[in-house]
Amino acid sequence: MASEKQLSREEFDLLAKLLGVDGEPAYLDELYSQVRGVYISAQNIREIDVTGAEPDMAFIPPTA
Amino acid sequence: MDTLEICYMSAGDLSKLVKNKEVSPVEIIDAHLTRIEATEPVLNSFITLLAEESRTAARQAEKDIQAGRYKGPLHGIPVGLKDLYNTAGVRTTSGSKIFDTFVPEEDCTVAAKFQQAGAILLGKLNMHQFAYGPTGENPDYGHMHNPWNPEMVTGGSSGGSGSAAAAGQCTITTGSDTGGSIRIPAALCGIVGLKPTYGLVSRWGLTALSWSLDHPGPMTRTVEDAAITMNVIAGYDPKDVASAKVDIPDYTTALTGDVRGLRIGMPKEYFEAPLDPQVRKAVLDAVSMLESMGAVVKEVSFPMFNQSQAISSTVLMAEASAYHRDLLEKDGHQLYEPVRQRLEAGLFISAADYLRAQQARALLDQEGRRLLDDVDLLAGPTEPVTAPELLASKVMAGEQEIGVVGALTQYTRPYNINGFPAISVPCGFSDAGLPIGLQLAGKPFDELTVLRAAHAYEQATDWHTRRPPI
Repeated sequence: MASEKQLSREEFDLLAKLLGVDGEPAYLDELYSQVRGVYISAQNIREIDVTGAEPDMAFIPPTA
Repeated sequence: MDTLEICYMSAGDLSKLVKNKEVSPVEIIDAHLTRIEATEPVLNSFITLLAEESRTAARQAEKDIQAGRYKGPLHGIPVGLKDLYNTAGVRTTSGSKIFDTFVPEEDCTVAAKFQQAGAILLGKLNMHQFAYGPTGENPDYGHMHNPWNPEMVTGGSSGGSGSAAAAGQCTITTGSDTGGSIRIPAALCGIVGLKPTYGLVSRWGLTALSWSLDHPGPMTRTVEDAAITMNVIAGYDPKDVASAKVDIPDYTTALTGDVRGLRIGMPKEYFEAPLDPQVRKAVLDAVSMLESMGAVVKEVSFPMFNQSQAISSTVLMAEASAYHRDLLEKDGHQLYEPVRQRLEAGLFISAADYLRAQQARALLDQEGRRLLDDVDLLAGPTEPVTAPELLASKVMAGEQEIGVVGALTQYTRPYNINGFPAISVPCGFSDAGLPIGLQLAGKPFDELTVLRAAHAYEQATDWHTRRPPI
């Protein structure tokens, strides 16, 4: 859902409802700010060229 | 022996006295309990103090040693475990009142190893709630306070471990490091903190934060003590699906003091990021010291460093939210609000974004390995700042005001992402008397080189002999 545009408050409210997240208005305001940060991180990662890179799989320790 | 002298002795030195029966574990534990009584009202390092239990264990250790049943360098030595390490019969809260009465039936693997080595569990150490923060705040059991200035944070999440070791409350402590939670308090409290290679120390029986980023490890006042501790706790554990099957060396063989020919790379990107000038100077002086001792130092480039915050936060937040989903639904209202917000924010990360972050993670890993084909270690600051004020949300790093969370994890996250070993060792103090840490990171499973360089630097300086004014 998030793209180059900022996550709008309406979008956040809808997602929060779908995820079962609720709280006092001040709490949700702060959470919205955090989630916008999460989306910015995701956007930054989308700008990395990951062609040919397989995801690092969890639970496989690095080899020596 | 003077009580304070005992409390500030390393395990390496104390163990010789214990082995030769010049000091008894009973005397050691009594000294530490006296120190804790005097300092704990200020520091708040402990969630659970095991005074009578540790005295009992000390008497047994004394008997065993007198009878010739000496177990090794940690026999009779006080150990404190971060309160997310399960301990049989001793409550394990993960820093939250939600688990105030949770008493595990079984020791985690690390606790069991300490027990087998004859170490004496002094208590369970305070921590950022559920390990989900880099400052050492805890509204349920009280915030932790930095021994060098109690108005400042210890760093987190292993904050109690940092303050307890720094203030002579405990000889050996442990932490867990997911985004820096061993190295951050180590740097801010002026002690040694080693994040081992991922998989080297068992995670079994620890409350997780992020499965693929969690690293248990030692926090001590000397590099030798970190090496001694690793000899006890490192090694394959079939109960931990991520445990590495590698040969475990004697880590104390690294303590040669010799760094001649050691190749050290300093990523230029570290010094382009926000950085306090006093920290910059201390770290550059530290690396110059290593160079004067025979190391070969050069500038390197680590471009993926600039992506590490985004990669780490995406992976960590998604995994933490998945792990704590049920807790969030059932007891979210009881969580410290910043922790609850982080957990809920992680729910918004899509599977596609999480996997993309894991792809980027693979690239960061590859870049690190390429760098470490060319040099033996990467060196830089552990932290860009000294300890911020308790509850501050922003901090000045040079000319820039930045968020405390981002600041404290700026240099630590890359080595959680790639799982490489990384140590923080004290390298100076700010004009305000706050500790500064040097971070050295090496190749996977090459803790010997990391420890060798850290020890050589430590022994050429006297930072590790300084004591906080408490």
